[in-house]
Amino acid sequence: MSPVTSRAVELGERTLARAAFTYLAEPADPALGALLGICEPEEILAAIKADMLPGTGPGCGDRPASRAALELALARWRMRLPTLPGDADLAAACRDGIRLVCPGDPEWPSELDQLGPARPYALWLRGSADLRLRCRRSVSMVGSRATTGYGGHVAGEIAADLSERGWAVLSGGAYGVDAAAHRGALATKGITIAVLACGVDFPYPAGHAELFAAIAADGLVVSEWPPGQHPARMRFLIRNRVIAALTCGTVIVEAGERSGALNTARHAAELGKPLMAVPGPVTSAQSAGCHRIIREWGACCVTCAADIIEMLSPVGTADALPSAGGPDPHPDLRPHEDLRDDLDPDSVRVLDALPARGGAGTSTIAVDAGIEIDTVLRCLGVLAGYGFIERGDGGWRLRRST
Amino acid sequence: MALARTHSVALIGVTGQVVEIEVDIANGLVGMILVGLPDTALREARDRIRAAIVNSGEQWPQRKITVGLSPASLPKRGSWFDLAIAVGVLAAAGKVPRSGVDGVMFFGELGLDGRLRPVRGVLPAVAAAVQAGFGQVMVAEPNAAEAALVPDVRVIAVSSLTGAADWLRGTPGLHDGWPVTELVGGQLPPAARALGARSSRDGAAMTPDLAEMLGQSMARRAAEVCAAGGHHLSLLGPPGAGKTMLAERIPTILPRLDTAAALEVTSIHSVAGTLPPQVPLLTDPPFVAPHHTATKAAIVGGGSGIIRPGSASLAHRGVLFLDEAPEFSRDVLDALRQPLEAGEVVLARSGVTTRFPARFTLVLAANPCPCARAAGLAEGCHCSPSMRRRYLGRISGPLLDRVDVKIELEPVGRKELLNDRNFAESSQTVARRVVQARERTAHRLRGTPWRLNAEVPGSELRRTWPPAPGSLRVVERSLERGQISARGLVKVIRVAWTIADLAGKPCPTQDECAIALGLWLGIRR
Repeated sequence: MSPVTSRAVELGERTLARAAFTYLAEPADPALGALLGICEPEEILAAIKADMLPGTGPGCGDRPASRAALELALARWRMRLPTLPGDADLAAACRDGIRLVCPGDPEWPSELDQLGPARPYALWLRGSADLRLRCRRSVSMVGSRATTGYGGHVAGEIAADLSERGWAVLSGGAYGVDAAAHRGALATKGITIAVLACGVDFPYPAGHAELFAAIAADGLVVSEWPPGQHPARMRFLIRNRVIAALTCGTVIVEAGERSGALNTARHAAELGKPLMAVPGPVTSAQSAGCHRIIREWGACCVTCAADIIEMLSPVGTADALPSAGGPDPHPDLRPHEDLRDDLDPDSVRVLDALPARGGAGTSTIAVDAGIEIDTVLRCLGVLAGYGFIERGDGGWRLRRST
Repeated sequence: MALARTHSVALIGVTGQVVEIEVDIANGLVGMILVGLPDTALREARDRIRAAIVNSGEQWPQRKITVGLSPASLPKRGSWFDLAIAVGVLAAAGKVPRSGVDGVMFFGELGLDGRLRPVRGVLPAVAAAVQAGFGQVMVAEPNAAEAALVPDVRVIAVSSLTGAADWLRGTPGLHDGWPVTELVGGQLPPAARALGARSSRDGAAMTPDLAEMLGQSMARRAAEVCAAGGHHLSLLGPPGAGKTMLAERIPTILPRLDTAAALEVTSIHSVAGTLPPQVPLLTDPPFVAPHHTATKAAIVGGGSGIIRPGSASLAHRGVLFLDEAPEFSRDVLDALRQPLEAGEVVLARSGVTTRFPARFTLVLAANPCPCARAAGLAEGCHCSPSMRRRYLGRISGPLLDRVDVKIELEPVGRKELLNDRNFAESSQTVARRVVQARERTAHRLRGTPWRLNAEVPGSELRRTWPPAPGSLRVVERSLERGQISARGLVKVIRVAWTIADLAGKPCPTQDECAIALGLWLGIRR
């Protein structure tokens, strides 16, 4: 083997081999996926370099595929051997904020293991956020590139709400809904993750170079392809399975009948992940795909961030989940007795001073509660804001639901 | 050469421009012509002046008289150039010394018998003359007190052309019955001061007081906030709940006008001719309540000849109360949007564009439904919800957007009436707090174009003056529940600032935001 740098040694033989696969094979290559199930990565790489059929050595058990298929695959991989950078260069790629995460690493999101043989060989990351941690509370939001004003608005609003409540928003970094989702999350200083179909250092579309930089600042730009790789049509479809697998659920905002977002939706459905769609006008061709997956695939119809969080949280825990400083998604669902504990003593006294039936004027409340009028006015604001009381005939009165 | 030069002032809105009047007497066909864009009233001056001069015992020059008003391009309207022209004729004919008319501004309308009549707009005219360097003004006697409001001017009050000629000849009061009074501007004589500086607050028994709003503690609080922050107010409630009563009491808690503001307000009322006689200086904030049949011109000002200020300008620095607001025509209400935004009315007419200041506190009052029967009673109203919605919907959204405080008034029950006696405060007490709050606001807003919280735009409010961290918790909660909109949030913050200023706090905390939210949520939805 060629001399290695200290950094490459740090990366480890196994990591280097997996990095090499991202150059040599297209992701989800069935032959390589099957081989990785039975052989160690470094052995496979050594075999490819030596022009030997991998998976035929001792201890490999049955060959994963027919010999003919394996030979074809070997030829395919060897074709790209000249493009494989040396170990030193591979290590050099892991600079400038770019890093590599492999299966078995602490940061590797175990959700990806559901993909089986189609599991990514490794993921290239740009940005410092922890991928595994962020994906535990994350939603993918994808949709049409040619979005209407409605789609862009809804995607941005929902993404902003989600990120405000501590959920990471994951999308594909394309124009339209993807960009709106990323920007919405960025607007509330939330974490957002872009999964690209090209190198993490290659801005595609070019107009999103700044967007990707902003995403990488706090969130992550993720790719299965090594730095410098250009996108290709097929790569977008291959990439979509990662988007679906990484997150807790997938939301489709505005997808036409033939939108690529439906491909992501199919992956999510196949993986058994919650699939959601935001409805649009029934007359809009841009929302036809959303309506179809609601009708035919049983996607859940969602209209706001709270709907999505409710869908993704275990039954009964939607409101108990810690939120990142944001407001509760369903304030009305919290039992009033709990809310009462949040009230200051004055507000509780004012609340108790309100008659059980009918209303009371401000001064009457003040006299009954024994509190001066300015404090009563403040407490009335608090109580009205929390929904304990409302204005009705005869002044302030208790809300019926309380 | 028989040429004389006198000066008067043309008024455009409340700003004056000095007009030079040249009178030339030459040989030719006997007669008098006026040049320099005079209007009809001014063209008639010819006949008035001739009769006045002859009836004053002076001699009318039987020659060709040419009167030029310059700048010639400025349209001149009204009858107050009479005195200047008549004096010019006398001076050109050598009847009064030409040197005597220099440096004097003449302002008055002549009767056929030579008496001098009072005119409108004396205050802004005299102010313009002083600004242009004139030290003396000659006005009709009833206008003298008003003219003397302007500092650094000598006011010569005459009651007839004879008196004016006597003064110009250096023999004031020569003819019996036509005395000449001289006043020094800015120093009202004691008698005039007592009358002129009349304040409604001095006659306590007569004036309305906020304490009379018994049983309406929220409404009193809202009025105080509006007075302190300059916020516009919307009142909703059935007849008899006290909407008009509350609106009338807002001027009593507004700060007294300072000298500059008082002169500004008095100028507008002077031009409109609504200045009470013998009460030249308005020091109380005006309260203007136009009837709902008022036309657009009556509200924002207008007129074809002389452009007169409308209710919006008459309410400058005071309160404009629109009772039964939905009954006003949509045009009229929407015409108020521009003055609400800019603080002045801009009226463009052919040849001249007029500006009237119009920075007022708008108070809208409405019944909850067109039938205006008290809700909740057995004989209560039969209006359908859609009728009610349509009725209130007649007040356009952009207008309501400017309203920061909305409250609902209800007929007061006996219990509330009794309980509220503990809390009612007099106008005087509240006014003191309002003055202090306004000082704090002005101090905080120094270096900005705004002086009141209501004037600060929402974007600036969010950027430069956010409330204390964490204080918006309840308000955000309310936003989440859909009780208030994002726009409502800005208004709550703005009102919270005023409440903080009233309480003497450097920044709104959770308490102030909660009070502001309570005021905002205090209407039925």
